[in-house]
Order: sequence, then structure tokens, then C-alpha cells
Amino acid sequence: MIRVVIDGREVVVEQDTTILEAAEKLSIPIPTLCYHKALEPYAVCRLCTVEVVHRGRSRLVTACNYPIREEIEVFTASEKVLKGRRMIVELLLARCPEVPLLQRLAAELGVEKPRFPLKEENCILCGLCVRVCQELVGVSAVSFVGRGVEREVATPFFKLSEDCIACGACAFVCPTGAIKLEDVTDKEPRPLPLEFDMGLKGRGNIYTPFPQAVPNVPVIDRQHCLYFLTGHCRTCQHFCPAHAINYDQEDEIVELDVGTIVLATGYDQFDAHIKPELGYGKYPNVITGLEFERLSSASGPTRGVISINGKQPKEVVFIQCVGSRDQTVGHEYCSRVCCMYTAKQAHLVKDRIHDANVTVFYMDVRAFGKGFEEFYDRVRREGVMYRRGSVSEIYKRGDRVVVRAEDTLLGEPLEMEADLVVLATGVVPRADVEDVAGLLSLERSAEGFFAEAHPKMRPVDTTRDGIYLAGCCQGPRDIPDTVAQAKAAASSAIVVLRQLSDQLISDQ
Amino acid sequence: MCPMERVQRIHGPADLKRLQETLVQGRDPNKPCITVCAGTGCLAHGCQHLVSAFREELTRHGLTDQVDVRTTGCHGFCERGPVVVIYPQGIFYERMQPQDAAEVVERTVINHEITERLLYTNPATGEKVVYERDVPFYKNQTRLILANNGLIDPTSIEDYIAVGGYSALLKALYTMQPDEVIEVVKRSGLRGRGGGGFPTGRKWESCRQAPGDPSAGSGQAIRYVICNADEGDPGAYMDRSVMEGNPHSVLEGMIIGAFALDSHEGYIYVRHEYPLAVENTGIAIERARAYGLLGENIAGTDFSFDVRITRGGGAFVCGESSALMRSLEGDVGEPRSKYVHATEKGLWDMPTVLNNVETWANVPLIINRGWEWYAGIGTEGSKGTKIFSLVGRVNNTGLVEVPMGITLRKIIYDIGGGIPGDKQFKAVQTGGPSGGCLPESLLDLLVDFDELTKVGSMMGSGGMIVMDETTCMVDVARYFLNFLREESCGKCVPCREGIERSLEILNRICAGEGTAEDISLLEELADFLRGFSLCALGQTAPNPVLSTLRYFREEYEAHIFDKKCPAGVCRALIEYYIDPQACTGCGACIRPCPQEAISGEKKQPHTINVELCIKCGACRDVCRFDAVLVR
Repeated sequence: MIRVVIDGREVVVEQDTTILEAAEKLSIPIPTLCYHKALEPYAVCRLCTVEVVHRGRSRLVTACNYPIREEIEVFTASEKVLKGRRMIVELLLARCPEVPLLQRLAAELGVEKPRFPLKEENCILCGLCVRVCQELVGVSAVSFVGRGVEREVATPFFKLSEDCIACGACAFVCPTGAIKLEDVTDKEPRPLPLEFDMGLKGRGNIYTPFPQAVPNVPVIDRQHCLYFLTGHCRTCQHFCPAHAINYDQEDEIVELDVGTIVLATGYDQFDAHIKPELGYGKYPNVITGLEFERLSSASGPTRGVISINGKQPKEVVFIQCVGSRDQTVGHEYCSRVCCMYTAKQAHLVKDRIHDANVTVFYMDVRAFGKGFEEFYDRVRREGVMYRRGSVSEIYKRGDRVVVRAEDTLLGEPLEMEADLVVLATGVVPRADVEDVAGLLSLERSAEGFFAEAHPKMRPVDTTRDGIYLAGCCQGPRDIPDTVAQAKAAASSAIVVLRQLSDQLISDQ
Repeated sequence: MCPMERVQRIHGPADLKRLQETLVQGRDPNKPCITVCAGTGCLAHGCQHLVSAFREELTRHGLTDQVDVRTTGCHGFCERGPVVVIYPQGIFYERMQPQDAAEVVERTVINHEITERLLYTNPATGEKVVYERDVPFYKNQTRLILANNGLIDPTSIEDYIAVGGYSALLKALYTMQPDEVIEVVKRSGLRGRGGGGFPTGRKWESCRQAPGDPSAGSGQAIRYVICNADEGDPGAYMDRSVMEGNPHSVLEGMIIGAFALDSHEGYIYVRHEYPLAVENTGIAIERARAYGLLGENIAGTDFSFDVRITRGGGAFVCGESSALMRSLEGDVGEPRSKYVHATEKGLWDMPTVLNNVETWANVPLIINRGWEWYAGIGTEGSKGTKIFSLVGRVNNTGLVEVPMGITLRKIIYDIGGGIPGDKQFKAVQTGGPSGGCLPESLLDLLVDFDELTKVGSMMGSGGMIVMDETTCMVDVARYFLNFLREESCGKCVPCREGIERSLEILNRICAGEGTAEDISLLEELADFLRGFSLCALGQTAPNPVLSTLRYFREEYEAHIFDKKCPAGVCRALIEYYIDPQACTGCGACIRPCPQEAISGEKKQPHTINVELCIKCGACRDVCRFDAVLVR
């Protein structure tokens, strides 16, 4: 351990600690441009130059890569240092007069107008992009070309890179915005959608899946993390002060001995792409009910502000029974939840956007639960227009869409423009329902959900003893019904477990 | 000599001694030998035609067995090439042409007569000089490193062994411990000849003590030795001449160094622009291997070491040690910080010793003759000799090897023969592009590492450019800064941006657009470059500006305030005119003028239309009466 004095304050560091790291311990700021914690020090911007006094001799050294090996005294802002820093910023500002970062640095250091003829660059040649791509991404899609004043960052032969993986790290790390992904490659960047927000928002490779996740900690997306893809990077490790990054965690398969099983595997949302006439996936104005749910949620991507294409919608159309009660897509059953969630969402639109016109196209409104009918009445009183009719087509006009439908009460076709169309997509069996049914030898009902042993007398049992059903895996139902059924299934399971000897109940 | 020829491997000092004796005995010292310099300078003068002319003449006279013809390395007096020395007398002929061969063979070789017209004339006295040793250019030098250049055929290891080559290596291998070798080099006071002047022995010692990375390889620390032959200073060719003329001396130095450092791998990094140096060094390596002086079990010991040649692409910055190592590794040749020295973490992060060609060539001398002898030459802080490449406005341009501590005046006037024409000496630039320009008042300065640094210049690798009164010092600073701007790698901000901006200012001053603030801004930039640049290229880049500002400030001021270039160089500030007294009206100047700016009646003084004149100087070149003048 070596004692160092920085600006009159003492700190004890391990041998070969850099001055910059030692200063950080004392919270003494040293300005840098080409330094990045996750990269090897490069020492080219020279902005971190400090004055080091050792045995009475003073030297100017760069703090980012000067290894402390003896007791030294460091001055991070002596007059000599500041004079040089001002010259660095003046020279860089003359090179890149429009870069805000340099303008800010110049103001901080008291540099006025550069005394040199101005150029029109915006790259300061700090090499962060080059080094990120080489050291962390391991691709080297960009590098320095040319010597001296002709030095620049470029792809090989100035052609778009074939090796670039469009990760965007270069553009991300660039302090001046000089490098753009489209200058490097014509590959499309692949933003990662946050699944919980229905892809309305992107996420990083490290993210918390949803706000109520248990345990509520971030995870690394191994499918996209550079370290798992290439073995390089590990940048997060440099930045996590808690040293909590662990690349070694693996998925585990746990085998349990159990007495009973309660199946609550849930459902999938009907894929609205299957009805291309509605334009879902084609027009950004057409979204599903679940997407609207995130859009209107206070914890959602827009923090509850309903906006589409950056604008507040004034004409909103809800279309019910998308994928339900529809022989053409093979779902003859009613999804049971759509009527009420549509009513709720229509209410939310009116609540948030007072002057919005909201129209709901429906076949029948099935407000069968406790208080449901009253809510439906209330929504209509709020001004939501319910029109019985089926929508035949949605097409684009300007940045709006046109909903073409038939009002089956009036018996006449109609067209209306809308800023936002919300599809009340139905409930369908999970994609893996067949696998699970096969695994447990369960029967399935005609619509594909798991079949109960008897529709009236044994609604939570399956034909296999000890296996019970709860929630939408058995058929569409809303939350109160699901909770009721889940409790029933749990009770049934307990009955069986009681009958069996206690030893079958494992610790888990 | 065929490199594939089988030879007896040397297994110890006795073997070498026997071989040397055999070689010396086989050579009659009185046998006539025509040596023709085949250095790059003389090659450019066409010396290979001269060699074949000599051979033909000797065949014609049936003397091929009685007279040897030998092509040697550079003699250093390139200005007078092709240079021929005829032994045993040592008769020196200059600027010989193939057609002179017949006369020389007939008169000098056969009849022992001197051909007057081919002799060198001392410009100071007008006397003809017969013998090489009496030519003032050579007489005033102390040739240690270049001593054998004119005697041996660089492609012949036997020639080198005959003059005592490799005896230092055998001495070190058989009678000294590695630490002893380091101690001797340390005590000799040898300092790096590449420019920095770092004590060589200390460098070796710290490399020897560096722990290295024992995890690498066989658990044994790997150490490298490198010979830096990336000579890039404009006008300097000392290292090239040593590599071309006596590559074995460098090789021997490297092997001794490797033995001292327990290194088994060495590299010679040489410019691709030096094809002859590459070729001769390559032959030297092959021949040394054949004799068992390089490779496995050198000279019968259990010490093994081999050398590879790496050719550089010619970037000036690759002469900087850390950039050179990156280039050797196959990376872009850019420097990096040297807070951790190469002796600890150099090539491939292993302890490395990098020395310049001339430094390595000094090592065998020191081992052979002892540190006491070496330390007796030179000054307190700088020992031994130094080769300078003396060029510019001086009569005898060429390679000059002198003891440290000689005065600049001696080099320029006694060896260099002074300034040609009746021009006045103005300045001498030492140390290459990063060196400084020294004025007449410093001509009696003792040349060594520390003295030169004190006055704002440096030893560098030994470039020495003499300038006379027709040189504009602002223009000189501009020239060198332009060179450095071209050669800056551009990695760090100060060097890339700072040199360019300094050059901008100098361009402005030379164009007559300088302002009073420009000098202080130049000084500010210079101070900044020195303190903040990453490597020595940027740190020393302001030297040309600072030294000219220090000694020739009035020239800057004349450019800025009077809008005049006192030396008549900066085009924007000069005007050509015809002296009516001197002009005879011959009309010779009218024809070459591309602007048709000159007019005048026959036999009447002509005039130049300054509106049209582009100051190309074509008229001045053709005027036989010195009537075209500049003001």
C-alpha cells in the first residue's frame, strides 16, 4: 500500500493504482474525454494531465494511466495544469466548434473564442468508439485511418462494415455524437422490446422484467448480452458498485416429489395479425387491448399519457370480439373478458382525454357479472358511443386510419376516421397447451383449453386424479372468477394431500 | 560469396583465433587492392559500373590474381563519390567514372604513379591530397564505429573476422558473466545514440532485474533485444551506413547484449526504404548462423539467441521506441505512455531492451578494449564517439565520426571544410527535425548530450544541417514543423492539433500576414506541446520554433513588422529586380521567364515587371552576371 497526497489530501492505495482511481476515492474530479472505466486507458486527450511531484521533481503526467508506485504528491489543478487544459479545450473547440461538450468544458475552464481558425469537425478522435468495438465488442468494425491531421474514424476501405453487429455501442459511447450507426453499417439495429410493456418501450440487456417481479432484481438477457454472444465486454462489472454482476448463474431443472398438481398455466392473447383486414402490425394506429393497457398505465412506457405517434388521439375506436366468436379464425367461443375491459378502457380514454370521441363496435355486450351492467351504463352515459356492427376493413388515410364497418342496427355501411383503434383481442389456449396436456395425459375441450372432469359437478378437477385446474388454462374467465376457481382448486388439492400420508409433502 | 557455402562452426575462442589468423595469413598486406565504396551514395553515383570497369581492366591486363577489387561499405565522404581507395598505399581518388578505370589500373596499380586529376583538392589551401588519411575530412575524425567501413566487404563475415570481428563476443561468452558485461557497459558511460541519450548500462540493468512474466512460456522470463534502425530524420543516414557497411558490428553488439540480458530473441527493425541495409544485414545474419555465432549454442556455449529482421513502413514515429514495438507486434505504429518502461513491459509486454544501431555497434568495442579506454574518450557526461551526418551548406558533406566534446566549429570548418562560396555561416541544426538551430555564437560549444540540450537543441540521432546566410530561419522552422505535422501519428491532441496550429501561424508569418500576438501564441503552443504531448515526437516538436525564436528572433520580427524576409526566401516578402549596373542586356533571362515579365532592349539593362513576376527564380539561375537580385 502506498500513501499519496492529492491536492493536499491523503489517500492510501495499492501499488499500480492510477492517479485517476486514487483521486476518485477522494472524490476529487479530474476532467477526461478519452477515458472510460471499462476500457484500457488511452491517454490521448491529455485532459487528465496532472502535476506530480516526486523527490522534489515536478512532472506532468496523465492521471488515467499513471501507475502509482511510490509516494508522490499530485496537484490536479495547478496553474501549469490548468493552462495546458485550457489549450487542449481551445484546440479541440477550434476543431469542433459546434460540440456542446466542448462548449461546456470551455465555459468551465474559462476558454473564450479559440484563437485559431475554426474547422467544422465534430469528432475529437478520442477513440472511444474504436476501442469499445475492439476491446468490448470484439468486432473492430471501425478503426482509425490516416495519419496525423488526416486521422479519422472509419470502416475498412470506407465501405459499410460487414462485420458490424449493429450493437450501437460506438454511437452510445461517443461523447460528441460524431459517429452514427448508419455510417458504419446498413444493418438494422435491433432494439430489444420490453416484453412487459408489449414492446412499446425498449430495454437494455440488463433489465427488470416487470415492476412486481419476484425477486425484484435486474437480470441479464443472455440471448443478447455481448458477453454471452462473444465472450467480450463485461462492462457492467466495471460499473456495478455492489459487485453484484454474476455471469455464472445457470437455469436449473428441479425435480420435486409432489402429491397433487394445480395447473394455472394461463392463456395466450389472440394474434391480431391473423385478421389482416384490421391492419394490426401494419398501421401504428392499430393496437391491441393489452398494448392499450400499458399505454394507459401510470407505470407504463408513457407514464399513463395516452399518445399515438406522439399525438393525443381524438378519435378512438374500440373493436370487440377480435378473435372471439369468430368461426373464420376457429374460435367460436366468447372470451368473456373483452366486453368489460373494453368498457374500462373506453372509460379511461374519456377520463384522460375529455374531448375524445370514443366509439365501440360490438356484437353483443355481455355485462354479466356483479356491477358490470351498471358500469356499462355509466360508460355510455360518459359519452362512449356503442354501435352494433362488425368491422370489415381498416385502411390508412394520412396519418389516421379509416374504419369501414356495417352498423347492423341501422343496416347501413359506414366509414369513420380514427386516430387510434384498439382491438379487443380474445383469449386463446397457450401455444404449448398440447405439450403440457401430453406431459400430464390431460384431455382438452373442443376449443383447445384443458378439459375439466365434469362441466357442472367437477369444474376444477381433471380426469386425472390429483391434477386440478385454475384460471384461463381451463377456459376464458375474468379475475374474480379465476380467483374463485383457484381457491377451489387449492382446496381440492389440500383434501387429497390430507388423505395421503404426510411424508409425500416435501419441504418445498 | 555464396551464403550457402559450408563452413566450420566456431566452438570457442581458439577456433575464432585460428580462423582469423588463417584469414590474415591468406591475405598479403602488400597485395594491391582497389576498394570501391558501394554505399548508397556511391551506388547512386553509379559505382557498380566503376567496379565492372576495374574488373574488365584487370582481366585485360591479366592481373585478376594479383590485384583484388573490393566493394566496401560507406566511406562517409559521399559528396565526393564514387570514392576509391587503392591499397596498400591508401591512395584516395574521388568522383571516379568508369572511363577513368583504365588509366588508374595502368598508372596507379601497375606503374605506381598518381593520377593528379582524380585527387582531392583541399579547398582551403588548393593543394592536392594523395592519401586518404591526409584528406582533412578524414584526418580530423576519430573513427571507431566507421573504422572498418572502408576496409571490409559488408557481405563477407570473413572480412569482419579478419579485422578482429566477433572476438568481443567470444570474450564475453567465455570470460565474463552477464552481470560483468552490464557492469562494463555501465562503467563505460555509453549513452543511447538514438536521441534520448539514456545510459545504456542502466537500461540493461533494469531490464535484467525486471521480473517479467514467469507465467509465459516455460516459466522463464522472456526478454527481447531490439535494434532500432528506423532512421527517419531528414538528411541523416548514419545508421544506414553502419548497417550497410558493417552489419556484423551491430549484430555482434546485439548478441553480447542478449547474453548480458539472458535474451534469446532479437529483432532488427529497419526501414523498408533501406534495401541495401536489409540485404546486407540479412546476409550477415545468415553467415553468422553458418559460423555458429548466432542461433543455437552460440560458439559452442549453451547460450542461444537468434535475430530476425522486421521491415518498417517508413513512418517517422516508428523510430519512437514504443511505437516501434507496436509496429513490431503487427499493430499500428503509435506510441503509448512510458510510465512503465519498456525494460519492464516492452515488446509483447515482456522486458525489452531497445537500442539504436550505433549504440549496439559500440558494444563490441567496449568489451574488447575495456570500459576504461572508452570512458577516456569524450566529456564528463558523454563518452565515446558520435557519428554525425554533416549536410547542408558545407563543403564536405558526409558522415563524420568525432569524439564527444569536439566543438561545432571543428566539425563544420576543419572536417566539413567550411561554407561553400563566399557565403556567411548562419546556423547549424542538430538533432533532426526535433532539434534546434544554433547560431554562430555557439560554434565553440562542446558537442555532447547535455550541452546541446542546454542550448535548446539536442543530440538526436546525429543529423547536422549547416545553413548559410541564404537560409531564412522562419522558413527552416516551418520546414521542420511541416515535416513533423506530416509524421505525427495524430493519436494525442497536443501533437496532432498543436503542431498543425503552430505551422499555420508560421505559414502566416512567412506570407507576411503575421501579427505581434503570433510570436507569443507560438511560444504558448510550444510550451504546451512540450509538457502535454504523449511521446517525444510531440514533446520535442517545438524545438525548431523555440530555438529559432531564441537565437533569430529578429528574423521573425522582420517578417511580422517590416514585412521583409532578410534572407530573401519567403516569396510573399521578396521582390526580384535587375541591377542595371551589372546587367549586360544579354537577354538570357527573358527566355526562361514563364510570365514574360522581363523586358529590355538588347545591350541595355533589363527590368522585371513585379506585377507579373511569380518569383520563381528562373532568371536568377540563368544570369551569368549576378545581375538578378532579391530585396
